[in-house]
Amino acid sequence: MHYVQVENLTFYYGEEPVLEDISYHIDPGEFVILTGENGAAKSTLIRNTLGLLKPAAGKITLSKVNQENEPLSVGYIPQQIASFNAGFPSTVLELVQSGRFSRGKWFKPLDKRDHQHVERALKSVDMWNMRHKRVGELSGGQKQRICLARVFATDPDLFIFDEPTTGMDEKSRTQFYELLQHNAHDHGKAILMVTHEHEEVKQYADRHIHLVRKEDSEWRCFHLSS
Amino acid sequence: MEMFSFEFMRKAWLAAGFMAVIAPMLGVFLVVRRQSLLADTLSHVSLAGIALGFFLNQNPTMTTLLVVIISAVVLEYLRTMYQSYSEVSTAILMSGGLAVALLLMSLTKDNAPMKINQYLFGSIITISQSQVKVLGVLFVIIILLFLLFKRPMYVLTFDEDTAHVDGLPVHRMSLLFNIITGVAITLMIPIAGALLVSAIMILPATIAMNLGKSFNRVIFSSIVIGLIGMLSGLVFSYQLNTPPGATITLVFIAILALVSLGQKIRHK
Repeated sequence: MHYVQVENLTFYYGEEPVLEDISYHIDPGEFVILTGENGAAKSTLIRNTLGLLKPAAGKITLSKVNQENEPLSVGYIPQQIASFNAGFPSTVLELVQSGRFSRGKWFKPLDKRDHQHVERALKSVDMWNMRHKRVGELSGGQKQRICLARVFATDPDLFIFDEPTTGMDEKSRTQFYELLQHNAHDHGKAILMVTHEHEEVKQYADRHIHLVRKEDSEWRCFHLSS
Repeated sequence: MEMFSFEFMRKAWLAAGFMAVIAPMLGVFLVVRRQSLLADTLSHVSLAGIALGFFLNQNPTMTTLLVVIISAVVLEYLRTMYQSYSEVSTAILMSGGLAVALLLMSLTKDNAPMKINQYLFGSIITISQSQVKVLGVLFVIIILLFLLFKRPMYVLTFDEDTAHVDGLPVHRMSLLFNIITGVAITLMIPIAGALLVSAIMILPATIAMNLGKSFNRVIFSSIVIGLIGMLSGLVFSYQLNTPPGATITLVFIAILALVSLGQKIRHK
């Protein structure tokens, strides 16, 4: 079973082809990294995969259900998520709790299990003591961590991260990779992570997708390395 | 308390109370979504609707509703088209709305500019019983929508991409929000005036954002500040014999200045 299946995806910005004939899949229980040089349209590929951009050609299938036959839940951290509106009127706790809304809680009160997920997620990024702070008062690194906590609180089946370790020190990055590996291997989660830290993360990842520039194209167009 | 002996003042207080809750509730979302100018834009566009009503000799509220709803749809389309500089969409509609209003006014006989003046500045003290009732209905609808959609709106306001991945219909929600804001503006304009309606939406929200830490507290504070500003503005207007809309706006600006000053002193 594939959680994500992308077949022959081609994407244009205006007239310019950016991605050509991309096919890949992500399965439950695997931790996959996506790499490529700066401007290799890694984020564009992710945004196409999630339906945030419309491809010119190709087929993208996100599984409707997880391995337990329940609706598939997706958690996404966009690039630069930590630069969100500094004036956003919310405490850290409210923001992380909002990660539970998509688990059937848009119109229902959060229960004990939801609160446990939130507490665990905040503790996993060492932000539990800051839970009553206003998000606008946090540093860039702290904002990054609460955005990660929001996704962990969702406890999704499929994690998609776009350079989530920006601004983290080496120790935090290592702990983060271990946490992802644990989620994939021990809890059957599927993880796709865009990263520039290939050398650092390869020992934790199960698979590596690499975007390279097409040599025969007059445009700055990328495809998967064979 | 002499002022309450007058029927028109009792109606004005009731209308002000309704608007003091409706306007800041929408205002908080407008401010956080960086759409503060949306209220201004829709109030300018509503002038075109009012002028259309006079031009066609129809009820101006109905034509305004129609024009504002169409504009809200166009605005959402332009906002997605010009994502990197979304303020362009408000500028296009604001100038377009005013241009259409002026054009239709010049084509309308029967003293249209005088009638438009009434909508430009509003008049809370000449409010009719049916207008109070309509505001009451709007008040109930907006409270219900808020209670129902508070969580989806919170996530949408935080980040639209996150909202999409969380399964929310981002464009439909944005569109619906614009339409509701447009309807609220249309119904508040005859009372508050096109020039001041955005002030009563944006100022209490801005003040509340300086005061509250949590989302719930910011919403609650904005309503309390809305009530304080609207009702004290009405009292000042009555006592000093000044225009109500302008007085209310100046009271809000004074509260904003006091809150900002208080925060500066506290952080020293």
